[in-house]
Amino acid sequence: MGISRDSQHKRRLTGGKKPHHHKKRKHEMGRQMAMTKIGAKRIHPVRCRGGNMKFRGIRLDTGNFSWGSEVCTRKTRILDVVYNASNNELVRTKTLVKSAVVQIDATLEHKRRLTGGKKPHHHKKRKHEMGRQMAMTKIGAKRIHPVRCRGGNMKFRGIRLDTGNFSWGSEDAAPVQRSSSVQKKIAARQAEKIIDPNINSQFDTGRLLACISSRPGQCGRCDGYILEGKELEFYVKKMARKKK
Amino acid sequence: MTGAAIAAQVEQNQRAFQKQDNIFVGKKRVLGKKTTLKESRYYKSVGLGIKTPRTAIEGTYVDKKCPWTGSVNIRGKLITGVIKTTKMKNTVIIRKDYLHYIKKYNRFEKRHKNTPVHVSPAFRVKVGDEILAGQEV
Repeated sequence: MGISRDSQHKRRLTGGKKPHHHKKRKHEMGRQMAMTKIGAKRIHPVRCRGGNMKFRGIRLDTGNFSWGSEVCTRKTRILDVVYNASNNELVRTKTLVKSAVVQIDATLEHKRRLTGGKKPHHHKKRKHEMGRQMAMTKIGAKRIHPVRCRGGNMKFRGIRLDTGNFSWGSEDAAPVQRSSSVQKKIAARQAEKIIDPNINSQFDTGRLLACISSRPGQCGRCDGYILEGKELEFYVKKMARKKK
Repeated sequence: MTGAAIAAQVEQNQRAFQKQDNIFVGKKRVLGKKTTLKESRYYKSVGLGIKTPRTAIEGTYVDKKCPWTGSVNIRGKLITGVIKTTKMKNTVIIRKDYLHYIKKYNRFEKRHKNTPVHVSPAFRVKVGDEILAGQEV
């Protein structure tokens, strides 16, 4: 093998040469770079030291990208490599590496945006919003725990039940519909929702900027996170400057 | 421009976005709580009875090799020495003087060792300062 990761060939801190007293060893071995490109998925598994496997991504087209502030992660298509802090060559050749900035397909995230998601927190948890553990009622000799609830009302937590009252009658199953209260809830979420204007504008083009945080040449996956806030501004500025 | 904006410009001078890995940059305001710092900062205590400097907690610098705001752990040896040169970025050369005993002559001789040591941006150092350096991995 040609590539080795030893330090025997390097000089000392003082500048002096190190004597070459043994040949290259297998445990110092390195391998060729993956240079993962965008394309139909092609991954080569490699048997490594200790019998462990590495999955060298040769070509990848999708990745799991998470949208942090919406707490939402979706598998999306990778469209283009747009910026690389280490090397412009890697942008030109569209190589997928960790911490490269890429453009991803925005449609799934778009759906998420429309259906609403987490509301921003305005206050700490309140007692009237409290929930309790699930009952997980099993079949067995009847065991019921009464629970005092809000307003002094009682709920009867069935822990084990063995009999029940069943009515004979046939009803057609109704198609699943969102009740008006649920629809109102979604609409209210939409009204309250604040999406960063920088990200919102990206939805118009159908492409979101994301940063790769996995190592495609090691694990064969191209996962990352959608750029937000200061980081997004930073990279947008860098790319604009490049274009000039 | 606010002080924070200026500081942010100063520290973002690399081609990649400088940030602390443990802090989520895009976080929206949670619980309507007003924190004293504009942005949240990760810092930890190093142990060994060493106080974390105020500048590390309040500063805006990003240094992954800082013991308080980065991802290194101090363990092993602690060396003291005097700073010889501060020409490198974030690191200094310290000189550690010691006496070596020659048994035959019952006398000592002076020896010294130079060691490069990383200096966190929390500190401002100059030549001649005495430094306590800790070992990391």
